[in-house]
Amino acid sequence: TGNKILRFGPCMISMNVNEIRASFTAIKATIQAKDAIRTISILSYPYSLHNFNVDRCCIIHHLLRFYVDKVFKHCETEDSHVNRKISSIANSFLSIKKKFRQCNEQNVCDCGEEAIEKYKQILTNYGQLNITSAAMKSLGELDILLDWMEKA
Amino acid sequence: PLLTDEEALLPAPQNISILSTNMKHFLTWSPVTVPGETVRYSVEFQGEYERDYANEIWIPISECSLITVTQCNVTEDISATVPYNLRVRANLGSRSSKWSTLKVLFNRITTFLTPPVMEVSTDGYHLLVKLEDLGPTFQFHIFYWRKGQESWVHKKTVKEISSVVHLDTMEAGAEYCVKAQTYVEAINRSSNFSQAQCVRGPDG
Repeated sequence: TGNKILRFGPCMISMNVNEIRASFTAIKATIQAKDAIRTISILSYPYSLHNFNVDRCCIIHHLLRFYVDKVFKHCETEDSHVNRKISSIANSFLSIKKKFRQCNEQNVCDCGEEAIEKYKQILTNYGQLNITSAAMKSLGELDILLDWMEKA
Repeated sequence: PLLTDEEALLPAPQNISILSTNMKHFLTWSPVTVPGETVRYSVEFQGEYERDYANEIWIPISECSLITVTQCNVTEDISATVPYNLRVRANLGSRSSKWSTLKVLFNRITTFLTPPVMEVSTDGYHLLVKLEDLGPTFQFHIFYWRKGQESWVHKKTVKEISSVVHLDTMEAGAEYCVKAQTYVEAINRSSNFSQAQCVRGPDG
């Protein structure tokens, strides 16, 4: 059924990753086709997200906020089907973000230097493009994030 | 703002509500009648994300654009456990009514979960149960016990429906009872139990 309990430091969050993946898979080709700039990666430059298995709570906290605050709202397209799937992903992220907030009220999310540096690099990568291109690229890399999230 | 003549003539749909059972969600409303005319309807939705982060935009549901029925399956778009808003308006030619919006936001956590339909049977000494397939969102918790040993109840969780579920091997001449409930992980809720069904195994 797809619901999994994923561990991020002190936080154990139940989420339906399959639902999010299904929505993303339905629009992945369309979104990635809109990304003409192949020389930049938002999440994977200079180091893969998969290098970061420490301070997972800190990284996921910042990335959820990054996607909810910065990415999804700038991904509106002329295709209603794509917009509906983006809405599905965005509302699922919002639901997960709220669960994190509950955990963070009782648990401290350690943010080591490396984690902070990684998030700063993500923002730098994001800042190199205009907002729409950066948002579309970030959305197109969602499976990188989902893969990392599932690596409990 | 003053109603234009056009809007004043085409009333907005009334009695808009959500019927949600077993994680299938339908928006319904009362028909708008204009004698001799076919009135059509269009539906849009708005999740919590759109309200709080995306300038309160509304997203059209293409399958429910200019439809003549007064119902729309919104299951595919209500795909997160957050509050959603929905609206519908009437269309007649180039004219559109005002939007009618849900009075209370809808969260799929409130869906009505029905006790599962089940069929208990035996195959020789094997205790079997057949359950209705409600889709990938559903799991089943099956409880069974030997009649007379009600304090010793066995539980089996079924995550994916196959045709028939094998529960246990029965003792000769014993009677066994079975009941089940559904469980939806996405909203962390269970249905009520189905009526218990009892069957007797073959005599020795």
